[in-house]
Amino acid sequence: MIEDKRQPQPFIIQIWDLFLIELTNWRWSWQYLVVVGTITPLLSMLALSFFARDSGTEALQFIWSGNVLIGLMFGLQSRLTAHFVYLRTEGMLNYFATLPIKKSALILAVIAAFFLIALPSTLATIFIGAWIIGLTINPSPLLALVIPLCAIPMAGIGCLIGSWSRNYNEAGATDLIVTFVMLGLGPVMIPPESLPSVVLFLGRFSPATYAASALRASLSGNIGPAFWLDLAALVVISILMISVVGRTLDWREA
Amino acid sequence: MPKHLFELTNLGKQYPKADDWALKDVNLTIDQGEIFGLLGENGAGKSTLVKQLVGLMKPTKGSVLFQGKDVANNHMRTAIDIGYMPQTAGSLNHMTVRESIYFSAHLRGLSRHDSKLEVDRLLKLWQIENLRDKSNQKLSGGQQRLLRLAVAMAGRLPVLILDEPTNDLDPVRRKLAWDNLRQLNQKQGTTIIFITHDAIEAEKIIQRVGIMRRGNLIAVGNPKELKKSVDQSLRLDLFFEPGHPPFVPHSLDPVIDQEGHRRYMIAWEILPTIMAQLNLDEIDDLRLNSASLEDLYLHYTAEDQPAEKSA
Repeated sequence: MIEDKRQPQPFIIQIWDLFLIELTNWRWSWQYLVVVGTITPLLSMLALSFFARDSGTEALQFIWSGNVLIGLMFGLQSRLTAHFVYLRTEGMLNYFATLPIKKSALILAVIAAFFLIALPSTLATIFIGAWIIGLTINPSPLLALVIPLCAIPMAGIGCLIGSWSRNYNEAGATDLIVTFVMLGLGPVMIPPESLPSVVLFLGRFSPATYAASALRASLSGNIGPAFWLDLAALVVISILMISVVGRTLDWREA
Repeated sequence: MPKHLFELTNLGKQYPKADDWALKDVNLTIDQGEIFGLLGENGAGKSTLVKQLVGLMKPTKGSVLFQGKDVANNHMRTAIDIGYMPQTAGSLNHMTVRESIYFSAHLRGLSRHDSKLEVDRLLKLWQIENLRDKSNQKLSGGQQRLLRLAVAMAGRLPVLILDEPTNDLDPVRRKLAWDNLRQLNQKQGTTIIFITHDAIEAEKIIQRVGIMRRGNLIAVGNPKELKKSVDQSLRLDLFFEPGHPPFVPHSLDPVIDQEGHRRYMIAWEILPTIMAQLNLDEIDDLRLNSASLEDLYLHYTAEDQPAEKSA
């Protein structure tokens, strides 16, 4: 029989290699992703700010945070949705499934690579967007923690939709519906005073609500108990998302 | 210590929403160091079988043991020892040839330094050094096949499972592929399991063959012994004036019956009688050859051959 001398790489090395593999996939096209990922939310922010110009700073803050999340949803969630469908339909998931790697290493590496690609446009949306709509910001250093915690649940949703959908069309449609439901459900782009109580209640179950709230707090420097609660909710949702993706993603064929 | 490298017991696969079974009660053992070939018509269940050997597909019933352990529940152990080349796709589209081999070798446990050496070794072995920095997307079908072979071998694995390794290859590259696989088996003792439709060339390296039909493994054994067991040792081709076939004794049915050409598969024992009774005036040409693996394959996959045989 075969001697058991061969050993898989340590978990962290697996993640690093898979992260590099994912990045190489984008080496010729990342610039386009950054440009599109920046322009779309900025234009949306600019257009909405015309209507909210006379509604005060709070309304502008909601438009700003909502559009940062739009950037994350289109730049991360939608791309991960498409990527997981691609991995499955092109047989690449088969390739990974026959390597001595943990499934969780692949999921973490893919999310990390896509987050890195989405980061420049997210930062551009945050800072250039605030400047465009004339929002005075006082960013907290905690923003460095808030951004990834906002991104992980969106990424997790993208992975789930991509791994559950049968084809690109189904995945794209599902992703679009989920995106708009999350944007409309809860005080993400619209201040809570303008929303019916049922939407506010349902918004408690949407990660976008906590992400938008944490973004606004870290932007204004208004770090209070509510901020820490938002952060705790995002940590819980992130852990939940990663574990659900890990459990449900079956890289074997049916 | 498990007796066999692979042990398949009552292995069956039924795809979701399908009425028929793609694989029906397959029982098979494969030993270390073997070159085992799987032959069969399209849709016979060959790819379904090998996907279950590497754990890519969960069996509906039965089990696949690799070194005594269930493949379905031992992903890491299986993946560290088995290199798999799928029939289509399965490599890294946007990477270069070098990167594909390097990352595959490194993730299979080689050091970074050894992975770089592995890249050089495999590029040379498959004669694709000139493609080193070319994007996988820009490779031709044959070049992609060679890359997939290199990727499957990256990491010096003790077991290789290859789904149609010579498809898309020109005759020169096909010979290279079979030569490399034979040397790998002889020099390093690598166990090689492959699917092929290229029965004539595969016969040069195959040690044991499995023939599949409609989800059943209908014959397993050494090609020579299988030929004997089905009285298919010789291939007799008779060429004659169209419309005037010669008389052939023993009520033999031709396996090929064309205008002016008939092929018969016969046993050595009846050859003298046939030759004695053939009227040479009725024949334009006559060719006698040893039966090939392809003949055996055609015999077993013929519509009226339900029998299960092993040798």
